[in-house]
Formats: sequence, C-alpha cells, structure tokens
Amino acid sequence: MITLAIPTGTLLDDSLGLLRRAGVVDLNRAELGRKLLVEKAGLRCVLVRPADVAAYVNHGAADLGIAGKDQLWEAPGGHYELVDLGFGACSMIVAVPEASPLAAPETWPPTLRLATKYPLATQRFMQRLGQVVDLVHLHGSIELAPLLGLVHGIVDLTQTGRTLRENKLRVVAMVGRSSARLIANQASLKTRSETVQGLVTRLRQSVDA
Amino acid sequence: MRRWGYRYVVTPSLERVDLLALGLDDEERRRLFKLVDQDGSVLGLVSERTVPVARLVAGKLRGAPLPLRLCYAGPVLSNHPEGFSRQRETQQVGAELIGASGPLADSEVIALAVQALAAAGLRRYQVDVGHSGFFMGLLEGLKLPETAKAAVKAQLVARDFVGLEAILNETPLRREEHQLLLRFPALRGGPEILNAAAGLVRNRRSDAALSELRRVHELLALHGLEAQVSLDLGAIRDFDYYTGITFEGYGPDLGRPLAQGGRYDTLLARFGRPAPATGFVIHLDRVSEALQRAGIQPDPVFLEAAIAWSQGGLEIALRLGQALRGFGLRTVVSTEPRALATARSWATGLGARGYCHVNEGGQIAVGLDRGWHRLSLAEAVAQLAERSAR
Repeated sequence: MITLAIPTGTLLDDSLGLLRRAGVVDLNRAELGRKLLVEKAGLRCVLVRPADVAAYVNHGAADLGIAGKDQLWEAPGGHYELVDLGFGACSMIVAVPEASPLAAPETWPPTLRLATKYPLATQRFMQRLGQVVDLVHLHGSIELAPLLGLVHGIVDLTQTGRTLRENKLRVVAMVGRSSARLIANQASLKTRSETVQGLVTRLRQSVDA
Repeated sequence: MRRWGYRYVVTPSLERVDLLALGLDDEERRRLFKLVDQDGSVLGLVSERTVPVARLVAGKLRGAPLPLRLCYAGPVLSNHPEGFSRQRETQQVGAELIGASGPLADSEVIALAVQALAAAGLRRYQVDVGHSGFFMGLLEGLKLPETAKAAVKAQLVARDFVGLEAILNETPLRREEHQLLLRFPALRGGPEILNAAAGLVRNRRSDAALSELRRVHELLALHGLEAQVSLDLGAIRDFDYYTGITFEGYGPDLGRPLAQGGRYDTLLARFGRPAPATGFVIHLDRVSEALQRAGIQPDPVFLEAAIAWSQGGLEIALRLGQALRGFGLRTVVSTEPRALATARSWATGLGARGYCHVNEGGQIAVGLDRGWHRLSLAEAVAQLAERSAR
C-alpha cells in the first residue's frame, strides 16, 4: 500500500482538491483532521505538519508527499521532487522596515542581521551574494523582530504582501519562488515503481489539464 | 567475500582530508569529522573506505599484480543528518575489484553484493543496475552551453525535476529533447527497456552504455540472479565519480539503499597507478534495520559444540575439543566438572548446536534427538561435525 503525506494548513484544501480531481482519492477534510491517518481507495493518507512532510518522505515512512518548496529548501536530500502542483504560490523575500536606509544588496552592512523561519534557504541565498549574515531562528511572528530592533530585516514568505504592509515592511530582495510540489521517496520510486509512477502520472495530468 | 577470493584489508580510520576528498562530493566533504594534526594539517575520520583502499593499491600494494580483489569491514564516521538517531558512526562492509574492466568484472562485483545481502539473511531485496555513460552521452548530444549542462546535472543530482524543467524551459532545446531529459529517469525494468532507450537516444556513448548493460544483465542471469536484478537507466549518482556501470540494492520497506556500488575508472590514476576499478559498499546498519522490519532474527547460533565432563574425564574432553576445533567447529570445553544430568541445560544455555559429555571412565556420550548415545571419539567427532553442518 502506498502512503501519501498531506500537509495541514494552507495547502490542505488545494491538496485534497487535486487528489479528488485526479480521481486518486476523495477525502473529507474533517475526517482526515480527526483521524490523522485514513485508508481509502488503496491509499494510506496521513496528515502531518507542513514542515514534517519531507522528513516522512526522506525516511521512507511515506512514499509520496505534498510539500511547499519553501519547506523542501529546509530539508534537502533523500527525495525526488517530481511535479510542480501549481497551488500555494508565494515568494520568499528579504524585507526591512519602511524607515530603514537599507535597499538593494549593495547597501547592506558587512554583517546583515536577519530573523527567519528558513535558516538553510537564507544561508544559501546570502552565500551566493557573498553576504555575511547573522541569523536569528524564530518560529512565528517574524515581522515583529525588526520592529523591536532585534534584526535589520527578515526572510519570510509572502503571498500578497499584505502582512508586510501592515507591519510597515518593504521588500528589498527576492530569495525564491515557492509553490506546492509532489515529492517521492527515492527507494519507493524503485521498489514500488509501478504504483508510485501511476499515481504520479495521474496527478501530473490533472495539474497539466 | 573471502570465498570469492577477496582479500581482507585494513585501512586507517584517520586520513588527510585532501586525500579523503578525492572520493567525496562537496556536501560529504563538509560532513567529515576533522581534527588538526601537530603540524597543522587537517585530518579526517574516514566516512567511506574506497579511497583508502585505492591508496593502498597504489601504495603498499604497488608491487602486487592486478587485478586485485580486496574487501574491508569497519566503522565509518560522518556528520550526516540522515537516520533517526543522527547516528554518527555506522558500519560498512565493502569489496573492490581493481585492475579489471568490462562486463565480466562488473557482473562479478554485482553478484558478490547480491550474495552478501542474501548471506545477511535478507529474503526480499532487489538490485537496480544503471550506467552513468547513458546520461553523459545524452547530455553530450545536446546543443547546450557548458553552464546549462552543469545546471541540468546539478538539478538531476538534487533529484529536483521541477527545477530541471524550469531550466529546460529557458534553453533552445526541442520539445522531444525536453521530454527525453524529464522522462529518462523512469526508464526502469527488464532488458526490454534497453531497446526502448536505444530508440530514444542516438549517440555513441549512450549506445556503448546500453550494450554494456545488456551484457552485464546476461552475465547476471548466468550467475542465477535474473530475478533479483532490474535495469535502471534513470539511476542518478555522482556523475563525476562513477564512470560506467552503477548499482544500488534496496530492501522492501526501507527508504534508503542497502548497498551501493559502481565503476570508478579514474580514481586510481590520482594516486599514480592508473587502473580500472569497480566495487560496492553495504550499509550494515540499514541491513540490520531491514532485517528487523522483516521480522528476521539473525542466525543466533554461535557455538557448534559444547563439551561437559565429570571428574576424570577432562583429558578426553580436551582431546575431543582439539579434534572438533581441528575440523573448524566453534567448540567450548567446560571449565568445571559437570554431571551428565545437567550437561544438556548447560549446553543449550550456551546456545550450542551440539553437545556431549565425558564421564569418569573417559566414555563419551553425545546428546542426540532421543537421549544420549555412547560413541567412540572418532564417532563423536563425526556426529557433532555432521550436526553443525545441518
């Protein structure tokens, strides 16, 4: 039996919609939320936190998973990234307070202090720029950190830019674009290739349609 | 492995980092545990043993004629975040066949790896055989600038097909070439996929890779391993290190490969003794995890014979012990006198497969399925040897 890891949170409804449209499985949000593990249509679906999907797939506890690219940046290796599912689009950006003198990378101080939930992606991006950074790893309400003078700016996700505007933050650089991806365990693709590939193909066709 | 004529070698656990780096990619290099030597040079704890074995072949074994068949076993250290307990030290067993090229050598090493997995007690496993030349030929055949080719390789090594597609969309490649690059990783199965692949790709390097794969598959069938082996043209490995046939062994329910290997014909030249080479490593910790998941107990029999004796029977007991050891049986002779009545529970407590008792008069009784049987020394040896062979 194939195990599929589905993320809680903002990607959940779109994920269930895709699985239904592709004719893979018709899951009810309430049912999945209550039981966390549902077996249906020859598929075992587990509901896990978005940041944990890659861990389940990398270790082979799930054969397939749906995860935001932003989470994959933080959990490299061990999985195949197969399909861009299109939904959950957002950008990872560097933002500073509106009043800050900082703008494009040339104006940044030698050591830029940043708060983020995404230390790996931030490090990689800043390394490419040759920028030294001092990272403060926070888990929520990142927007607060620069307002209280803890850091120069933040690296975070934004969809519409509303939260940034409300907190008087301004975008100065783009780290990358994220959206939901279908990922697969490396061994599952080999040892259960027919079933796994079959599922992947159905999801891909549904996305392309 | 010794039965296949592979000599056991021991290599140091500590090596210079620049030397270890020859067999590692950037990420693996970062994950080495490092120490600083008295003269300031940086040393690393070995995280794999192919490079140390290669150095041995080009150094101490320089005079030994090729091909050389060598095997090793031991702990390796790596600051790798995989695994649940973030275990830094793991156990590896491996073999290298150095100085032999061609499908015969490749298939010998694959067959040995399969036998080793079977000997570990695994009942269900499969080995996927690929060839790095197939993809390299495919890439060479494309009209792309070098930077774009490097980017394509990097995305493939990262197994990021979404990123690969994004890169391809910015290249002037034709749609068929696009599809080929995105879909070739799914080319997996029996020998029939070789024909399918030959229809897709027309270049000398890929063709050569396909015919080598065909031959290796035939040879593995001669080894009797057809059922366990699949062909996998989408095998994605370190393309700068492997130069030919590559393979990976998988268990049924484990997310990571149990065994990995392949041909690396350029490594030995870096130590000044150019030679073709192929080999593999088995990750013992993963094998043990696979065995546990499959509910397979490793064979607990350690002792083949246990000899108890009563006062006065010691001399015969010691002679019997020597004789059994002479036949290669793992034998324990009790360190204190023991009555016949307690001999059986003592021996089974030790986990011995066979047992016997020597009484005051030097008479030997061998414990068999239905009670004790009085036998001569020669008969006793024959009985116990036969029991252990069962």
